[in-house]
Amino acid sequence: MPTSRPDLAGRRFFLRATGVRLALPILDSLGANVVRSGLAVTALSANAKTVRPMRMAAIGNAFGFYAQQFFPQTTGANYDTPHLLEPVAKEHRKDISVFSGLDHGVKGGHFAVHSFLSGVRQVDAKGMPDGNISIDQRAAETVGGATRFPSLTLGSEEGLHGGCMMCWTRSGTRVNPIQGPRELFRKLFVNESEAGLAAAKDRLQLQGSILDAVHGDAKSLKNRLGARDQQKLDEYFTSVRDVEKVLELRQKWANVPKPNAPMLEPENRGLVNDIPVLYDLMALVLQTDSTRIATLEIAGGFEASVLGVRKEYHALSHHGQAPEAIELLVKLERYQSEQFARFLTKLKSIDDGDGTLLDHTMVLFGSGMGNGNAHTNLNLPVVLAGGGFKHGQYHAFPTSGLNKQPLSNLFVSMLQRFGIEQQKFALSTGTLRGI
Amino acid sequence: MNFVMLLAFAAVDDAAGFLKTYCIGCHGETVQMANRRFDRGDVDIAAIMRRVEAGTMPPKSAPKQPTAAQRQAYLTHVAKQAPEKIVLRRMNRREYLNTIGDLFQMPMDQFDPTSKFPRDQQWTHMDNIGETLVTSGYLLEQYLDAAEAVVAKALPSQPPPAPRTWVFKDQFQQQKELDGARRANKLTQYMSLFEHPRTPHYEGAYAPLHAFSEGVPFDGVYEVKVQVEALHRKNPYDAKLFGTDPEAPFRFGVVAGNARVGYLQHEQPIQPLLAETVLEDGGPYWLTFQVRLDAGYQPRFIFPNGMNDVRRVFSQFARRFPEFLPEDQRNVAAGIVPGRIAMMKYGKIPQIRIHHVEIRGPLNAPVIPASQRAVYGDRPFAPERTREIIANFASRAYRRPATTEEVNRLMAVAEKRRGAGAEAALKDALKAALCSPAFLYISTAQDKGRLDPYSLASRMSYFLWSSMPDEALLKQAASGALLRDDILRAETRRMLASPRAKAFVDGFLDSWLNLRSLGDMPPERDQFAAYYFDGLQDAMKTETRLLMRHLLDENKSVHDFLDARYSFINKPLARLYGISDGMPSAGGQEFRRVALTDSRRAGLLGHGSVLTVSANGIETSPVTRGIWVLENILGTPPSPPPDDVPALDPDVRGAKSVRDLLTKHRENESCMSCHRSIDPPGFALENFDPIGRWRTKYPNGAAIDASGEMTTGEKFSDIAGLRDAIATRKPAFTRFLTDRLMTYACGRKFDAIDAPAIDGIAKAASAKGDGLRDLVELVVLSDAFRRK
Repeated sequence: MPTSRPDLAGRRFFLRATGVRLALPILDSLGANVVRSGLAVTALSANAKTVRPMRMAAIGNAFGFYAQQFFPQTTGANYDTPHLLEPVAKEHRKDISVFSGLDHGVKGGHFAVHSFLSGVRQVDAKGMPDGNISIDQRAAETVGGATRFPSLTLGSEEGLHGGCMMCWTRSGTRVNPIQGPRELFRKLFVNESEAGLAAAKDRLQLQGSILDAVHGDAKSLKNRLGARDQQKLDEYFTSVRDVEKVLELRQKWANVPKPNAPMLEPENRGLVNDIPVLYDLMALVLQTDSTRIATLEIAGGFEASVLGVRKEYHALSHHGQAPEAIELLVKLERYQSEQFARFLTKLKSIDDGDGTLLDHTMVLFGSGMGNGNAHTNLNLPVVLAGGGFKHGQYHAFPTSGLNKQPLSNLFVSMLQRFGIEQQKFALSTGTLRGI
Repeated sequence: MNFVMLLAFAAVDDAAGFLKTYCIGCHGETVQMANRRFDRGDVDIAAIMRRVEAGTMPPKSAPKQPTAAQRQAYLTHVAKQAPEKIVLRRMNRREYLNTIGDLFQMPMDQFDPTSKFPRDQQWTHMDNIGETLVTSGYLLEQYLDAAEAVVAKALPSQPPPAPRTWVFKDQFQQQKELDGARRANKLTQYMSLFEHPRTPHYEGAYAPLHAFSEGVPFDGVYEVKVQVEALHRKNPYDAKLFGTDPEAPFRFGVVAGNARVGYLQHEQPIQPLLAETVLEDGGPYWLTFQVRLDAGYQPRFIFPNGMNDVRRVFSQFARRFPEFLPEDQRNVAAGIVPGRIAMMKYGKIPQIRIHHVEIRGPLNAPVIPASQRAVYGDRPFAPERTREIIANFASRAYRRPATTEEVNRLMAVAEKRRGAGAEAALKDALKAALCSPAFLYISTAQDKGRLDPYSLASRMSYFLWSSMPDEALLKQAASGALLRDDILRAETRRMLASPRAKAFVDGFLDSWLNLRSLGDMPPERDQFAAYYFDGLQDAMKTETRLLMRHLLDENKSVHDFLDARYSFINKPLARLYGISDGMPSAGGQEFRRVALTDSRRAGLLGHGSVLTVSANGIETSPVTRGIWVLENILGTPPSPPPDDVPALDPDVRGAKSVRDLLTKHRENESCMSCHRSIDPPGFALENFDPIGRWRTKYPNGAAIDASGEMTTGEKFSDIAGLRDAIATRKPAFTRFLTDRLMTYACGRKFDAIDAPAIDGIAKAASAKGDGLRDLVELVVLSDAFRRK
């Protein structure tokens, strides 16, 4: 594998007029005053009480986890740790909660995986008051302009039957992930030069003018369409509004320098090798308050051969109970839980004012696929970490009957802890009992 | 009961009655065969219509059978209820790319403003269905960025520089993996190409000019002179070690590369082949090429039929051929680095050496590039021309005369942007036009119930060229002549004969047969080395495209897709297929028509492209291939995963072969209802390995049993028998292909309601011999194409 470093000569780190370098961790060293979501990080204030905002992270994959090696046999605080759970539970038992019996009650196998964070399949979105908005986008709606990025979605843009497609806006469009560590790095840490900054602001003004013009064109086109086509054209109107919001946010943050990069620009080396780097960048984005909401989806581009498995991932997920297939499948899955455990370790190691970054980040890990072999989306693998919840137990919730709780109950609990006054999410019946 | 009363009964027999009489028994409250239910809920009318029309339902075993008249009455009745369809359709990525190229008269082979666009959403693999394609805020942001890049490129603010020459010689940096050995051996005065460009490790696969990382300064034509040497084509070692063909002369190619995009020594997403030639052995001697390069790009050199993996050669050579190394090198510790140093010095490895490169240009660059002329016309820009230029451009971009209000809105943008100068302001207005729905959406404006001539022209050009109409077509639209049958037909023929129709062949096959996915699951490198060495991926696509092109040009029957006893292949494909007749002994990259004496290879189901795209690169699956055949040849896709049937967790332990595995699935009745249609065609194709090579045994040694039985009763023992079974359904295939063509042509979903229209076109095509060109003409002249 080539190891030569990329050429850094073309990039310039712009030091703002204040002459202060924003080094990491930015918050403590400058005594910045950070308050709850809705207000921006302001650097340079002295004597600040450091109260950190709550963050949210979610990680999902397309084919699920082999249940027999994921869910423990015993419930409660002294649960056993099957092979797939072991990397996470060994290090972080006190900081995680493991769940079984939770799901969204949907069917469709690969065609329902995308409902993991929204609780609603895309085809059913029209009938729901909030469409099929995913929990991360719902949280992002409330952050306003407090962070440069309302949320950051990372990972596979596609995959079998579209891949995970985890994140959905209120208007029912899928949020496209940033696929490579290199692109994410540049977004986060590479500032414009002085000339570049002026050009960027000018461009924002131009784009605003363009949006005005095309909005007029769309209004005039709409009058000439049939009813159903008019509805279809609404996508364009929504897009114009969405971009206007993005431009506003960019305008606001144009003068704020990005944090200094604490690492060299990474290369893209394929999803399997990129996963640890993406996790590291996720920790950084949360630490630097570049965003408070980050997601990672693992689907297309996961080359099993990188882990020494010479069979195709999807084919292995249809193991048909054959032990040889299960063994290989579990190898691919264990890598994912190991990387997740490493992410939690990283979050725990980062000081975040009155606690660690993990204390202030609720992390959801799992999949919208319950049983890849049977193509069912029930009894999903779910682990919740951090965020100040009461952890340390394995909760085996009932899979049917009167006491069954939808997974979206957990989402209501999460949104409330995030700071949102919300009683219902998708088909929830309340908050999740037991945590 | 006399005849009149029977007739009366038939007249009363409406849609609900039909289903109740003939279908509900097996698809109703008590039983839901194949997980389908017709008495309530979401009834899949299209699936019902297809099978009623084809006669496959009710099955022969059913107690009651409708007459042909009753079937027709039901179909017509359903068709009469026509809810409004979504026909609004935005351009997809490839259409956008082509349109920009035509609008600005710019070559787009080294410039892709769509590279960050999200993937187009597909419906049944079609990438141009209006209802399915989504416009999102993210996409609109990409449109804004793309418009900037496009206008900057089309209207450069600098004139072309004077031609200059760059010289590279005496010292070449190649890449880290090789440079250590090159320096150790003092061999840095030339570059060496060892591998073909599709290798796993890229050691000597590309010979780039690292000293020229900035690339050429301006879009234009450049002369590239290169001094090459072709060495060791015939060598004393085992040919298998290198994987090259000692009989084939070396090929030498020039591809574009851009240091800003990625490593120059690796494959890049945009790297068109700019030139290629065959080398004589020996040298050094000079070659001269003239190639077009975009600013920032450089020429890189490749060895298209080089080795598969020189890294492996470096490590294995000392072990396998110690006698060819000097004594003191023979016991060199195993390891890639010493191996490489020794091999480079003493080994006679096949390679192309590059000693000297000179690049000169831009040659004869027009002072006013064609793209600028396309926007400004022949006169230069002047502030007082702003409105005229904008109006002109908008009319061309919107593919119809722009309205005064539309021009006013663009002028308002120019007005707001005056500060940077009149020309910059104009350019900004052009960017706005490129983000307008009038540009992005393909018009379906109507006049008196039919598409107006401009909308019709757009629909035609996006069907046959995946791009905007040309001036000739727009002229016919402007006068209204395009509404006449004879003009419409003449234009269709003209457009099919144009080289632009390549977009139709490529785009339609990519959609219909899902060939755009070829390469998504790359075949395993060790087992299928030939796929990479021989460039089979491209060759396979070319084969299928040449077949369709042939059917169009010669107006041959579409049934040749099913069982043509000829194909268009090159030598590597001939090797894959085990064909030796009709192929030259040496060279043979050219495609030629060959007769297929082996009937098992006939038709699309024998094409490497189809067989590879329906496998996963590692192994075949009768289920995947069976579904592919049902979806794309028979037109009877299996029903989607069951909604209200309890889930099964398949347990296939104890299955010794894949047939065993599937039999276990079929022991369960609800699995069986779909798998009895899926499995048989899948089994018939098991004799083709994951890249389409014929085999009689599985890799584990088990014999292949390709026999099966269709649900309609035909039994077969291998693919030839399956083909015969399919051949009895030729009218159904014509109808199915008509449906696919109409879907692609109109960019909307066709379903049960449209069945009579599709039938009509298919029958008319069959009456004329099922010729593909006739079918395409009938599609364009059809009522459905000319209406919204």
